[in-house]
Amino acid sequence: MQKGALFAIAALLSAAMAAPAVAATAERVKITGEVIDSWCYITEIMYAEGTAHHQCALWCAAGGVPVGILGDDGQVYMVLKLGQDDTSVANPAILRIQSHRVTVDGSLYDRDGIKYLVVNKVIDDSGIVKLTHEDYGIQPFGK
Amino acid sequence: MKRNLHIALMVFGMVFLSGAAHAAEEWGLPEEKTARFEAKVVDVLCELSGDCPKACGGGKRQLGLLDGSGKLVLPVKNNVIFAGVADELIEFCGKQVIADGLFTTNRGYTIFALQFVKEAPDGKWQRANRFLPKWAKKNGVSADSPKAERWFENDPRVNALIAKDGKLGLGLKTDKEYLSKQ
Repeated sequence: MQKGALFAIAALLSAAMAAPAVAATAERVKITGEVIDSWCYITEIMYAEGTAHHQCALWCAAGGVPVGILGDDGQVYMVLKLGQDDTSVANPAILRIQSHRVTVDGSLYDRDGIKYLVVNKVIDDSGIVKLTHEDYGIQPFGK
Repeated sequence: MKRNLHIALMVFGMVFLSGAAHAAEEWGLPEEKTARFEAKVVDVLCELSGDCPKACGGGKRQLGLLDGSGKLVLPVKNNVIFAGVADELIEFCGKQVIADGLFTTNRGYTIFALQFVKEAPDGKWQRANRFLPKWAKKNGVSADSPKAERWFENDPRVNALIAKDGKLGLGLKTDKEYLSKQ
């Protein structure tokens, strides 16, 4: 009995150590914007929107760079989950909507200056609508 | 032109010069600051929501660095062109590490580029470029082959999408028309 209690306490402690001390509260949101590569967009190391940057955005998403949604409000929302699939590193479903204009329903976590988004559902997908290649070429190598 | 040169230099620096010295190198990013700090490697989604699969999701989830003050740092880049940090940090899930790299602040966001990492306090420094050997192994090529060096142009996942939708994402016909004018 005493041994069982010790195991139970150890298991509880182990679970408590693995989980975060305090899980933040999420805000339910609907976001409309373009699926982007967060690194190139935030750092502005190159032009990083629309068709001009589509190929590079695929490269970065496949490389595991966080994919974001550039909202119509100008904010970048880092996507941590898409539907039931919680893969956020090189997720094929996210690659398929890279550079698309989408509207999503999700849960927003704001932590230390970064907005993180758990996408519950893609409500609308308009495909790629921002045609930027005529002005900016194909980024970053021009081909 | 100036921007293309800048990118070329940065790519060159990231791939070839990332250094024997285990200290962050400047990349010329906006409001760039070199940094070395101790932090715990966490699954970001777990940290935020309490949804915590074992082993930080086994490399399928974005990983973060929780520093001593409780601040969650988002490492977005590793030391390989067009690649992130999951392959660099997954082995340290739940552990304290010393992270060495660059903070950059732009457009209202501060993010981190990881260049070196070691388990705290006295693990062996590792350059944050293990994405490449993992990619190479997965794709049946040598890690030091030209194919691996330009992994992004040889990635089957990306190439399948480009073969279908083109580099611009608008279809092969649009690609052909546009590229023929260049």
